[in-house]
Amino acid sequence: MLQIEGISHAYGDLVSLRGVSLEVDGGEILCLLGPSGCGKTTLLRIIAGLETEYSGVVRFAGADIRPIPAHRREFGLMFQDFALFPHLSVADNIAYGLKRRKLERNLIAVKVRSLLEQVGLNELGERDVASLSGGQKQRVALARSLAPNPRLLMLDEPLGSLDAQLRDQLALELRRIIKKSGVSAIYVTHDQREAYAVADRIAVMNMGSVRQHDSPRQVYQRPASEFAARFLGLHNVFSTTDERIDALLGGAGDQSWRSAPSVLIHPAGIRLSSEGTAPQIKVTLNNAVYRGGYYDATVSAESGLTLSLALADLPVATGDAFLITIADDAIIPLAG
Amino acid sequence: MIRRARYIWRTVYLAPVAFLAVFYVYPLLSLFDISLRPAGLLDLSGFVRLLSTDFYLRTLLFTVYQAALSTAFTLLLALPCAFVFARYRFRGKSLILSLATLPFVLPTVVVALAFASLLGVNGLLNDIAAALFSLDYEPIQLERTLAMIIIVHVFYNFAVALRIMTGYWSALGFSVEEAARCLGADEWALWRDIRLPLIRPALLSAGVLVFIFSFTSFGVILILGGIRFATLEVQIYYQAVNMFNLPLAAALSLVQILSMLAMMIVYTSTQKKIHLALASAAVITKVVRSWRERLAVGSCVGLISILLFAPLLALIARSIFVAGQLDLGNYASLAEKSRGSLLFIAPLDSVFNSLRFAGMAMLAALILGLIASYMIDGRGRLSRLSDALFMLPLATSAVTLGFGFIIALDEPPLNLRASWLIIPISHTLVALPFVIRSVLPSLRAIPPSLRQAAQTLGAKPFETVLTIDLPLLGRGIAVGATFAFTVSMGEFGASLFVAQRESVTIPVVIYRLIGDPGLASYRQSLAMSVVLMLVCACGFFVIERLRVAGVGEF
Repeated sequence: MLQIEGISHAYGDLVSLRGVSLEVDGGEILCLLGPSGCGKTTLLRIIAGLETEYSGVVRFAGADIRPIPAHRREFGLMFQDFALFPHLSVADNIAYGLKRRKLERNLIAVKVRSLLEQVGLNELGERDVASLSGGQKQRVALARSLAPNPRLLMLDEPLGSLDAQLRDQLALELRRIIKKSGVSAIYVTHDQREAYAVADRIAVMNMGSVRQHDSPRQVYQRPASEFAARFLGLHNVFSTTDERIDALLGGAGDQSWRSAPSVLIHPAGIRLSSEGTAPQIKVTLNNAVYRGGYYDATVSAESGLTLSLALADLPVATGDAFLITIADDAIIPLAG
Repeated sequence: MIRRARYIWRTVYLAPVAFLAVFYVYPLLSLFDISLRPAGLLDLSGFVRLLSTDFYLRTLLFTVYQAALSTAFTLLLALPCAFVFARYRFRGKSLILSLATLPFVLPTVVVALAFASLLGVNGLLNDIAAALFSLDYEPIQLERTLAMIIIVHVFYNFAVALRIMTGYWSALGFSVEEAARCLGADEWALWRDIRLPLIRPALLSAGVLVFIFSFTSFGVILILGGIRFATLEVQIYYQAVNMFNLPLAAALSLVQILSMLAMMIVYTSTQKKIHLALASAAVITKVVRSWRERLAVGSCVGLISILLFAPLLALIARSIFVAGQLDLGNYASLAEKSRGSLLFIAPLDSVFNSLRFAGMAMLAALILGLIASYMIDGRGRLSRLSDALFMLPLATSAVTLGFGFIIALDEPPLNLRASWLIIPISHTLVALPFVIRSVLPSLRAIPPSLRQAAQTLGAKPFETVLTIDLPLLGRGIAVGATFAFTVSMGEFGASLFVAQRESVTIPVVIYRLIGDPGLASYRQSLAMSVVLMLVCACGFFVIERLRVAGVGEF
């Protein structure tokens, strides 16, 4: 559907995008995941036609859409601050795009009503948008951008301003509504949990370029770069030139990590080991924080290396030693 | 101890209130009295005459008409400029925005003369046109026309409208507009559906303010229009001074006061809407790139520069060139009275008068304004009441104030009619709101915890004010002081009533010189205007230097 090739962009001297290429298939939800300032919002604005100074190509359904101005692209964009029209009612906000397409008045009314129902705001059509709660505004913004049946829907941190509890629930609901409408979507977020919940595929971005482009499961289980690993909250990243890592992983079956600049020991692959299973590593428990259901623990190996891992139960008291095993597929070579 | 401090504060608070009571409320009540009971008995014949005579009704209508036209043209020019200023960033933008407010401090006599120097029958443009195309007539015939008055009103009010709308538009941001574009709105739909509806509160607020300013315009119309274009203000002056019809002048003042009150109430309500909407934060501006954007920015900057500098430069040119030759004789002649002049003193002496009065008014307005600011800064009804009370002089026309002064303060116990003291007192009254508006934001910005911290460290209440408040208020006080000084230097409407004989101020002298027969007097008025313009411009630059974001609520 959408193909972007080699997009570069700068704000004055500040380079925001460095040759980004991506593709979104029909009906797919692509998540752009990255820290603030990584260029993901700029990329959305370029696709929407709001930024016009950039190099690279944007194609939609095979056609170069660069000369088409924003108001003729028929792409929906949901803004981070929602950008609801403050002088229009909820229903008039949703109807705005339909009116621009010169739809018949009756048809618009019917569509607005069905959208209000779809996002669960049946009773609020005549309300002033200023009187809505954050969650309600978010739904109005979604309904407004979906109303004219956009060929592509873009969402810029749609849940960013809402509190964490609401976010988990709304992320699933967003995915349900987008999937039901069948539209291709690009979803920008800095929150990995949100990305896992919503995306079919995730593009991890940093400093203006895409570092990894995979399914959510793959992104979490096999992060490709040191940045991705750290951004996803995986702390056991070590330089392969570190002698202590050699002592720790020297006995492992797969030694392919040695050719990479750094290596991740995925916490999901570190287990408590019982006597007899090999190879075993003796570690000392430094500290453990109870997170509800599991412990976040840090341990030191004899070489002095510190590892983080999740433990269902504490096998020993703080300061005492115990044995762990590192699964072969938990040793992940990382690009710089 | 604490109780005693409170008593002291209450006594101190009395000072500005008493000042306002004696020099504002009392003169106004005298005006009411003389208009409603001219011979000591209730007599509404003045009002009946006012409302039944075609001439006075026409005066009122004309006042509204010219104010409406001035407002319309000001907004028409300021709206596109505000859009460009809010939207784009370019070099020199803040400088232009700041310079555009220069007219705010320029006295009306100076500006009126400046425009006469530029667009008058013998103005610079006519001279240039005549020389370029070898004409034997003057192509620009704007002298004593409504068009001239409206051009000057646009000059005065353009920056006010520009600032209000630019600030509002910047705060709104452009994401709403971009949302509309993504939903299919083209440029035309953007203006119709988004930009105009969104800017409406600011447009309304600016419009009401410009209307108020044009409604009460006095010096400009007196000098450029004359009695043929008399507005309420000019008519009050004319009836009081030339016809000596005090009841009628007082009745006109009453109409003026009531109209102002009504307009101020409308303005306050529009202000509330603006503050409500100004919650959003980040200001995002675009770099100028395409030729259309360049053209838009270029025309705005060009328009503002021409509007601002052409008349002022014409005034300077007219004052230093005599018959095409550089000649500073106009300035040298200021030290002496020209023959046939009705002035009691040489023009130059008025400079010392003005400086003296401005210094006194500044000091008085500063002291009273500081105390008043503390009153307003408090909480509760007293503070809200005093806020409205101290802004009243701003909502009363200078002519009304001056007229009230001469009819109220001319008999014992307060006979100031013949004393020069009446001048700095009237200027203090006019400058007071400016001081308060400059000091108050700084005062409100001092967190109470600072004073509490000082108290826990052993500072007495008086020491707290001295060591915490005053240093933090420094900038606000300096801005207020400069405002007071500049306002006093340029004050015209009230001074024309109260400044007599030897104690006339610069603006009054300029006005008298214009009226005097002979070219010599006219040339003196040009030189005098340039002097006054430079003084006020200096004040302006001091204020702009001192003013950081947040100082001054204008």
